[in-house]
Amino acid sequence: MALHNDIAELLKAGVINTETAVNIQEYYKQNRSSTTSRLFIVFGILGAILVGLGIILIVAHNWDELSRGVKATLAFLPMIVGQLFCAFTLLKKHESIAWREASAAFLFFAVGACIALISQIYNIPGDLGAFILTWIILSLPLIYVIKSSVVSLLCLIGITFYGCETGYWSRTTEDTYLYWIILLLILPHYYLLVKNTPKSNFTTFHNWAIPLSVVTMLGTLADDHTPLMWIAYMSLFGIFYHVGNIQHFDQQKLRNNGYKITGSLGTIGLLLYLSFNFFWEDLGSYDINFSELIASREFWIATILSLIAAGGLGWHFKNNQLILFKPIALVFILFILTFIIGIYSPFAMVLINLCVFSIGILTVGVGADQDHLGILNYGLLIITALVVCRFFDSDISFVLRGILFVLVGIGFFTANYLMLKKRKTHE
Amino acid sequence: MNKKTLLLGLFIVVVIAQLYVPAKMIWDKEEIIETGRLYKFQTEPIDPTDPFRGKYIVLRFSEDKFKVTDSTAWQTGERIYLSLKTGAKGYANIQSISKSPPSNKNDYLEAKVGYVDVFNGGQPTLTIEYPFDRYYMEESKAYEAELAFRDSRQINSTETYAVVIVKTGHSVLEDVMIGGRSIREVVKANRENEVSN
Repeated sequence: MALHNDIAELLKAGVINTETAVNIQEYYKQNRSSTTSRLFIVFGILGAILVGLGIILIVAHNWDELSRGVKATLAFLPMIVGQLFCAFTLLKKHESIAWREASAAFLFFAVGACIALISQIYNIPGDLGAFILTWIILSLPLIYVIKSSVVSLLCLIGITFYGCETGYWSRTTEDTYLYWIILLLILPHYYLLVKNTPKSNFTTFHNWAIPLSVVTMLGTLADDHTPLMWIAYMSLFGIFYHVGNIQHFDQQKLRNNGYKITGSLGTIGLLLYLSFNFFWEDLGSYDINFSELIASREFWIATILSLIAAGGLGWHFKNNQLILFKPIALVFILFILTFIIGIYSPFAMVLINLCVFSIGILTVGVGADQDHLGILNYGLLIITALVVCRFFDSDISFVLRGILFVLVGIGFFTANYLMLKKRKTHE
Repeated sequence: MNKKTLLLGLFIVVVIAQLYVPAKMIWDKEEIIETGRLYKFQTEPIDPTDPFRGKYIVLRFSEDKFKVTDSTAWQTGERIYLSLKTGAKGYANIQSISKSPPSNKNDYLEAKVGYVDVFNGGQPTLTIEYPFDRYYMEESKAYEAELAFRDSRQINSTETYAVVIVKTGHSVLEDVMIGGRSIREVVKANRENEVSN
């Protein structure tokens, strides 16, 4: 109503003409209808997920007054209802995102409830990983048949849980190759999302879920040569950082760029962990048999990931994107060299500390150059984190540690003060 | 064929798969119940929760060890086949263990090696992980079932066992019994006694 009055007033005052007034009204009308349909999608999906989870909880009560036959029949009921909803969506509402997502999400949970109830009825043994795997495999086709991004996200969460259950948590850890196969099956849907709707919420959620899931699962590939997994992880973070810097992702809001944040925080986090002495002491005592090492799974994983990361780096160079402004992009290569030095000498620890410190300083510099308080403070936070880590090293004197803290504190204050002052002068 | 018909066709395949897998699970288990052989396994339970499938009691079995001659021949998590026989007290005993299904009989059970105990009184021993370690119960009854079970063993020394039907490696845990009565019946009777007292 306020808009309508404003337009009338502007029209009367001769600021806009009739055509512009009609255009403005049309624009807001369309915008409002897209907001309404977005709300419809969100509530549709939330409703379906809540009802689905509710059914699982009701099933989990375990109604032992009911006979085996009745329970087995009831197990199919929510699933058949979900299938009918999906069939209706396919036939009549295929253009409606809300219908597609809500009916597929409901069917996803109904499939879970059905298998859960049958597991209860027949006391099928306790392997939670196998249960989730069956659930995901039966639901996975819905991603493509119903075109559901919610099911794609739920499958991603599901397979990550399955991977953790089989790769980390169970007593006898097993290979998680099925996780990687299912991930590959989800990726074409993700590719279409990125291509067709790069700014939608579904794409943003995938931009976060995929790197986080891969980071979680890479560790399950470790076998007998675990130290090499550090190289693999550093290169993986390098790859994510490069992906996050591709123009397609880089031009989006930072909070939507899961790759860049995962790559950057992951690299810094790993470097900080490796800035302690204990890792390099262990590495020094690591008995290396080169022929075994080259034949190991970890060696190949680390090599492949490092080559991909190097490819990403080369691509950025070729496209004249200044790597100096992005110091994290180079870390994975420096780390491989440091790692090799670390096998023979504890000096590697010093190099890592220097590396973190340089990244901090360079980031502060980039922040100051671009007049970006966020980047500037990120750089300062990296230096602070490094100082905090050194605070726990008992072999550095209290006085030195105290001075470091005071210096960083002054640095924080001065850098922010100078930048704000510079902004004021420019205004 | 247009895109919609293709998607509908694919959807029908998905629906059939979604119906087939749980139906096959039911069919397989019913077949074991109908045609398998019944064994009683002596047990001792506790009650945890599964996020999707609700409350259950975990069963530990008295007959969960088997002496072997060579500890290096067996590995933790390895699949094994147990040949069963009914012992003098009416409970299941492990007759022999093999790495492949015994060809001459149906009464064997697929299980896993829990761990290999090398120093158990001089002779290596395998701990067996049975494929039926969970018995699902109504959520309010699982804890009471555990208490009833504990009391029956500590106070009354009542015999407790799981009723398992076995056929060609597969099994269905049908019931858990305390002194010849189903654990569900025992919990129900205990509740009725408390109300009448």
